[in-house]
Amino acid sequence: MTAQTEPMATRWLGDSSLKDRLIAALPLIVLIALVAVVSAQQPNFLGMSNVRGLLEGLAPILLLAIGQTFVILTGGIDLSFAVVSSLSTVLLALWLPEIGPVAVVLVPLITLGTGLLTGIVVAVAQVPSFIVTLGAMGLWSGVALTLSSASTIRISEGYQAIGWITDMRIAGLPVSALIAIALAVIAAVAFKTLSRGRTLHAMGLAEKALLMSGNSTRMIRIAAFGMCGLFSGLAGLVLASSQYSGGPTLGDTLMLPAIAAVVIGGNAITGGVGGPMKTLVGALIIIVLRVGLSAIGVPAAYEQIVYGAIIVGAVVLTIDRSRLGIVK
Amino acid sequence: MSRSDLVSSAPGVDLRKIQRLFGTGGPLVALVVLVAFFSLASSTFFTLGNGSSLLTQLSILLVVAIGLTFVIILGSLDLSIEGVMASSSLVFVLLAANDRNDSDLGFLAVIAGVLTGSLFGLLNGVLHVHLKIPSFMVTLGTGAIGIGIATVLFGGRAPRLMDDSLRDLGFGSLGGIPKLAIIAVIVLTIALLVQRFTRVGRYGYAIGGDEQVMKLSGVNINRYKVLSFVLTGTASGIAGVMAALQLGVGDVTIGGGYLFTAITAVVLGGTALVGGIGGVGRTLVGAAIITVLANGLILIGVNPYVQVAVQGLVIVLAVAVTGWSLRKRVRAIK
Repeated sequence: MTAQTEPMATRWLGDSSLKDRLIAALPLIVLIALVAVVSAQQPNFLGMSNVRGLLEGLAPILLLAIGQTFVILTGGIDLSFAVVSSLSTVLLALWLPEIGPVAVVLVPLITLGTGLLTGIVVAVAQVPSFIVTLGAMGLWSGVALTLSSASTIRISEGYQAIGWITDMRIAGLPVSALIAIALAVIAAVAFKTLSRGRTLHAMGLAEKALLMSGNSTRMIRIAAFGMCGLFSGLAGLVLASSQYSGGPTLGDTLMLPAIAAVVIGGNAITGGVGGPMKTLVGALIIIVLRVGLSAIGVPAAYEQIVYGAIIVGAVVLTIDRSRLGIVK
Repeated sequence: MSRSDLVSSAPGVDLRKIQRLFGTGGPLVALVVLVAFFSLASSTFFTLGNGSSLLTQLSILLVVAIGLTFVIILGSLDLSIEGVMASSSLVFVLLAANDRNDSDLGFLAVIAGVLTGSLFGLLNGVLHVHLKIPSFMVTLGTGAIGIGIATVLFGGRAPRLMDDSLRDLGFGSLGGIPKLAIIAVIVLTIALLVQRFTRVGRYGYAIGGDEQVMKLSGVNINRYKVLSFVLTGTASGIAGVMAALQLGVGDVTIGGGYLFTAITAVVLGGTALVGGIGGVGRTLVGAAIITVLANGLILIGVNPYVQVAVQGLVIVLAVAVTGWSLRKRVRAIK
């Protein structure tokens, strides 16, 4: 865990000042402090049933955030990811009664496709990713609304194919969160051990150098967006399972907490700095914060303000100003 | 250029001036074609009643899109529009005579609502310029804050506006023209003047075109960038108040959908998202196209959600097409 939270990219470059180390460790310190504060307020906060509830809420946010991490590492952003997860719940609700378990495989593949499509437009047409994905956001939400006639579709026939995601427990813990955490760990290990594992970081830090040394930055960029799409689809599976339904806006509200999770975990939106383990810490902070706020009596209405402030605040702390040219 | 100079030096209508203000022919032709098409396709489209509802629909979108034009010309973006509209609508309704509290500030409440928008714009500008955060990221955050503040003020039930003279602004009309449309025309006029005759307006183009050059020429670009964001915020504030006037309530979702439509309107009008090219006059044409399209498609029975999808495609296509020639093998676009 501690090894993972070290700033991979800075160590890779061979310089890591004390300030950098402090900022890198900050998310973990914040998480521990948050848990301590909330536990002091609510002694049963770390009790089994409470942790179970926390983890159930964690799964979709973490999946979305891991997907976003791939894109943010390259220095881009995918604003359409939450809408894509909504779309995937609609597709599931429409297809589960027809083709059963096949839909469980088909839907993430389709969202992988939407991600790849986004990546292709960004890479080939060379349009900034936030504009492409803003457009994609409108496109996919329009498609989801049209397919579902703008209403929530209850899943009854064929539900058993996704029911296990919500019902199954391993050692008393929900399987959805365990899978999500496992995926974060797998991705982090892959980044660390594979010979080409740091390609995404390199892409964020020095895209031109990567290109000049013979890599296809186009393919890397497209792959990063593809991963984001795939994980959005996985988040859609969890959402559809826990809500017993598909809805055209079901995942939309997760956009802000998921982006907040990525940036508060210490991933720099300028790219190159961060990784899935940082995202895991960030997602845990968001979840504990959400529960903690209501525990200490802050009304749910303030949640949005907190997310907004976190996004701006965390970006201020993690952004790498030395590599910023003109900021638009 | 020289030939059109000769043409425009002829007495009579100055074509070039019109072009510079409202864009080249494309969007205008599209607008005329759309109007002609829907007039033929639907018997209710080209009627007085629909004309007045078209104007009402256009007015709020126009104000939002005009505001947005100022930051898009910088090459930046403001995603906080919907949140700002929500906050300013609630601030306005809660300070005017309403069914929630005893406040009755009348026109001062309008000013407070608009200033709420300006404050958001100032916050956006300062965070973006001085902390060097990309504008879309800042405004993603502040937009959430705006929705949050609105949710807190909302308190579970939409406060209703009870001030009769203010409500008349939202429902009434003057000589057949909705009063909201008159407000929009006033905003448009002011925006045209600001863009053509003030430093914020004129430097905006130069900053969007090449920021470095402006900086080297000794212009305090930070100030003008912040001011542009304030203009956008103010317009969103006005739009929030207008929406509250129109619906008679303050609501968290009052700005829902406007961000998207406004960006599409700006882009369709011919203002480039890369910055430096365009103007509020062109945005008028873009907003009119969107409004005619939205209204006409519903009249001939097309699912309104298809429009959201189409708008998304339009944004991507417009940017991809305008930037296609700038593509380079070694260009790093994030």
